[in-house]
Amino acid sequence: MEDLGRIYQLIIPVMGHNITLNLDVILMTWIVIALLLVFGYLTVRNRGVRPHGLQILGEMFVSQLYALTEDALDKEMAKKYAPLITALFMFLLLCNWIGMIPHMHEPTKDLNTPLSLGIMGFFIAHYAGIKSKGIKQYLKEYCEPIFLMAPLNVIGELSKIISISFRLFGNIMGGAIIVLVVSYLVYSIILPPFLIAFFSIFIGAIQAFVFTMLTVVYISVQVK
Amino acid sequence: MLNDIQTWINVAAYTGGGMAMGLGAIGAAIGEGYTAAQANAAVSRNTELSGDILKSMLVGQAIAESASIFALVIAILLLFLSVSNPSLLTAAALFGGGLCMGFGAIGSGVGSGFPAGQACKGLVRQPQVAGKLTTNMLIGSAVCQTPAIFSMVVALMLIFIDFSGAPLLPTWAALIGAGLSTGLAAIGSGFGGGLAAGASCEGVARQPETVGNVTTIMLIGQAVSQTASIFGLLISFVLMFKSYPESAALTASMCLLAAGISSGFGGIGPGIGNGMAAEGAVRWVARDVENAGGLMRTMLVGQAVSQSTAIYAMVVSLCLIFVV
Repeated sequence: MEDLGRIYQLIIPVMGHNITLNLDVILMTWIVIALLLVFGYLTVRNRGVRPHGLQILGEMFVSQLYALTEDALDKEMAKKYAPLITALFMFLLLCNWIGMIPHMHEPTKDLNTPLSLGIMGFFIAHYAGIKSKGIKQYLKEYCEPIFLMAPLNVIGELSKIISISFRLFGNIMGGAIIVLVVSYLVYSIILPPFLIAFFSIFIGAIQAFVFTMLTVVYISVQVK
Repeated sequence: MLNDIQTWINVAAYTGGGMAMGLGAIGAAIGEGYTAAQANAAVSRNTELSGDILKSMLVGQAIAESASIFALVIAILLLFLSVSNPSLLTAAALFGGGLCMGFGAIGSGVGSGFPAGQACKGLVRQPQVAGKLTTNMLIGSAVCQTPAIFSMVVALMLIFIDFSGAPLLPTWAALIGAGLSTGLAAIGSGFGGGLAAGASCEGVARQPETVGNVTTIMLIGQAVSQTASIFGLLISFVLMFKSYPESAALTASMCLLAAGISSGFGGIGPGIGNGMAAEGAVRWVARDVENAGGLMRTMLVGQAVSQSTAIYAMVVSLCLIFVV
């Protein structure tokens, strides 16, 4: 039970400040990236007009996510943002699923991963908004309905980062904690595989999808 | 006898366990009753399908029950767990954990009854899409459980993490506040997510070909209506893991307790309101799929406005924790 909330950290003192690195998370993130690169290489290795093998899986990911992006944004914009959205979904899906393997941890279990992805989505959405509406119109929207509401509008925008990243973090970390505690209570007999199937595979896939869709939706709300 | 630490821990564990199961039994029972009522209506419309409807009702009720099973697990843990490092803070943490799970199970239990009920009703309308309807119901009611899962996580953390190093005087209030914050905020979000999921099951039964759009908008709507419970979770984490200077003054403790109460009660309304917005959007996307984009934008803007009260509550909580 001591595993609850334990993190392996490397603390480097630099000029009076401590730089803390969460080694587990960094290692697991690189493993996920490497696996995705291998997957990408394998899908395009034997390309053909008639797709077969892994190429089908790769094309399915790309075409489904392009279609979802086109639904939310228009066709021109979708071309620009769909690669990002596809990559985000595949990264999150693998991040959430990798915890199924013993001794592997989900990088999304640590708040740093979802928070940085959430901040990334926030900046991309606002960049897209400023670019399509112009800075004047963009700033004007904060002063609606009256300019006194501006601070609250800003807090409302910032709270989107909190809600999108904590939703993913809470679900994945919650699943991991419940699996850990229940496995401890039942001495790892019978129950854990079912719990992992529910929390890791099912909830993991849904939350990866929700995070990706919300990023698209935040972009589309800023643009229109 | 009242100075005996073990007595206090037992008192907290027993009352906490009772609260967890007692409050946790409210929601699931209401949700299951709603499902059964809709199943009755469905059977009376088409008696030949009664076998399928009964199956669908039982599956839906089993999922609605899971929130109160979470509560049962926490209650049993509280009743039979032996504490390794007893201190008065452990007592506060155990009581907070019980409260958190008890309140947190109410919303998700009631909420996941809606998709189950609407799935039974939809089965009569379109018996040939039973597969799609069941999948949609399962996704919808699983996402409904998220607020209850958040409360279970906070409850487990309160029970298992060793807080005994912290100063007793303000920290006891922080631990009980952490339980109240997530537990109360989960009520609204669970209920609201259920409204959206129910509308999506109804929509799939009306227009089976819109299932992709309907499921996507349901998931986004549910995700946004969970925001209130996520704010509650955030405040709980801050309350649990911030270190407080020791202070014998009553105000310091009450500030922390009030922070939990503020974000907890503040989350109930926005969760239900956002769920209603999502319900409307999902229902009308199923009837008018051409306008899905516009409907979704209206839903999001409306939800953002109705969410602002949860943000006020969170700002007040953060002020109470960090400023006052």
